[in-house]
Amino acid sequence: MDALNGAAKLRLSHVGKRFALKDGAEAVALQDFSLDVRQGEFLVVVGPSGCGKTTVLNLLAGLELPSSGTLTLDDKAIAGPGAERGVMFQDYALFPWRTVWGNVEYGLVYGPAGRGLTADARSARVRHYVDLVGLEGSEQKYPHQLSGGMRQRVALARLMANEPEVLLMDEPLAALDAQTRLILQDELLRIWGQDRPASGRRTVVFITHAIDEAVFLADRVAVMTSQPGRLKALLDVPLPRPRNDDTRTHPDFQALSQHIWRLIRAEAYRATVT
Amino acid sequence: MSAAAPRTLAAQPPARFTDSRTLRMFVVPVLLILVWQAWTAAYPTVRTPTPLKVAGAAIDMIASGDLPGGVLQSLGRVFGGFAVAALIGVPLGLAMGTVRAVERNVDPLVESFRPIAAIAILPLAILWLGTGTAAAVAIVAYAAFFPIVVNTVAGVKRVDATLLRVAATMGIPRFTVLRTLIVPAALPSIGVGLRIALGVAWTAIIAAELAVGAKAGGGGSGGVGQMMFVFYAYSIELNRIVVCMIAVGVVAYALDRALRALLRGLMPWTH
Repeated sequence: MDALNGAAKLRLSHVGKRFALKDGAEAVALQDFSLDVRQGEFLVVVGPSGCGKTTVLNLLAGLELPSSGTLTLDDKAIAGPGAERGVMFQDYALFPWRTVWGNVEYGLVYGPAGRGLTADARSARVRHYVDLVGLEGSEQKYPHQLSGGMRQRVALARLMANEPEVLLMDEPLAALDAQTRLILQDELLRIWGQDRPASGRRTVVFITHAIDEAVFLADRVAVMTSQPGRLKALLDVPLPRPRNDDTRTHPDFQALSQHIWRLIRAEAYRATVT
Repeated sequence: MSAAAPRTLAAQPPARFTDSRTLRMFVVPVLLILVWQAWTAAYPTVRTPTPLKVAGAAIDMIASGDLPGGVLQSLGRVFGGFAVAALIGVPLGLAMGTVRAVERNVDPLVESFRPIAAIAILPLAILWLGTGTAAAVAIVAYAAFFPIVVNTVAGVKRVDATLLRVAATMGIPRFTVLRTLIVPAALPSIGVGLRIALGVAWTAIIAAELAVGAKAGGGGSGGVGQMMFVFYAYSIELNRIVVCMIAVGVVAYALDRALRALLRGLMPWTH
């Protein structure tokens, strides 16, 4: 874990976010939220529904601005969306009128991520990521012709092709069935580069409500509570990488999952009855 | 999935005119013609159009070149007016859908003109543009404009907000988002607007020519609508009016099929 103790890549300090409600009242989505995300780390934010975890991600993406506090990337304030922070959304969000290939190349053709690339270099880049997510042979298919798992692979390739410094993922596996989900968890770690040394990995902030998913993927887990959304605990995940099916049966995996469950159980329970 | 031996597409015999599905398409029209013939045989009057008399008139009118000439004249005006409507309506709809200030200013205007039927601007069109093609095209353009603009705005408004967020997080410039995301996302709705507009345009041209081309004399030079007016007001040939009605319907059907095929070709992801 030593390589992970470097400088903060992303820093949230005392971030608050309030929304105006229709009746004039205010809802507090996030209160005094402080967190450093280290360079190359896989950080997972976990919490019950409505705890403001998506708000955290939208603030990092620059899609929303904080009501108070500051967010920085490499010590520079985040003032809006930027291509150096790539986002993967919950519902795939593929362009239905573009093929698999067309979706993956979109950011390179039209955005700053492809600036300075020749057409050949761009194709090579698209080729690389299409292959990396296992979609070779499906390049000319449209999203509606693909299964949920394949769509999410396209979304991942589209995100990775832009080679952003930071990957922001908002429950990207939530819409998938349980088996596909387990497979894509493995795939995600492989594509992220868990075999590589930590210094060669991209920084990831991953949102989920699934505790086992959080523990399986994360270097650290940020546990949130709701009303108002706050950071309840920040836990190291000492499980060795590369992680695989054996990880899921590891006693530490079970113990940590249980621990996180105890932290949010009361609230998760309340969320089902109110 | 069936228990029968699977048949590949290549193994199937080529579709023929005698295929039962093709024949079934004609069951209702043929029945209607038979009922029509029986009715006119039961209650004959001098001027009642019968299927046989109408068929005879149709052969005459096609042979003389009047009907094809009139249809072509009307079609030219329809395409002209439709093109004007699309060239103004689609960009305006995109601007209204994306820029709130434009919508706030233009929408009340569009919505207050929309209930005014195309035929109601006929006096103005004749006054300003005369009784020729220009007035007919203007009326068609007016009629076709509203479905195009309204459906384009609706299409832009229905663009999935998450897709716009995807583009924002990739740092795509604003106009590029319009061109590469909003336009294709709204295209199915724009296509619906164009189809409705083409139908409306064809309706409007007949109405416009009934009045606009009335002084142009006989033959096909005034368009189908004017031919119908002449058969009604001067020569009183009901059979020929029915031929014109059928021609209008057939052409409208063919136009819609052609536009649908074109739109399908433009949107391979929708099927």
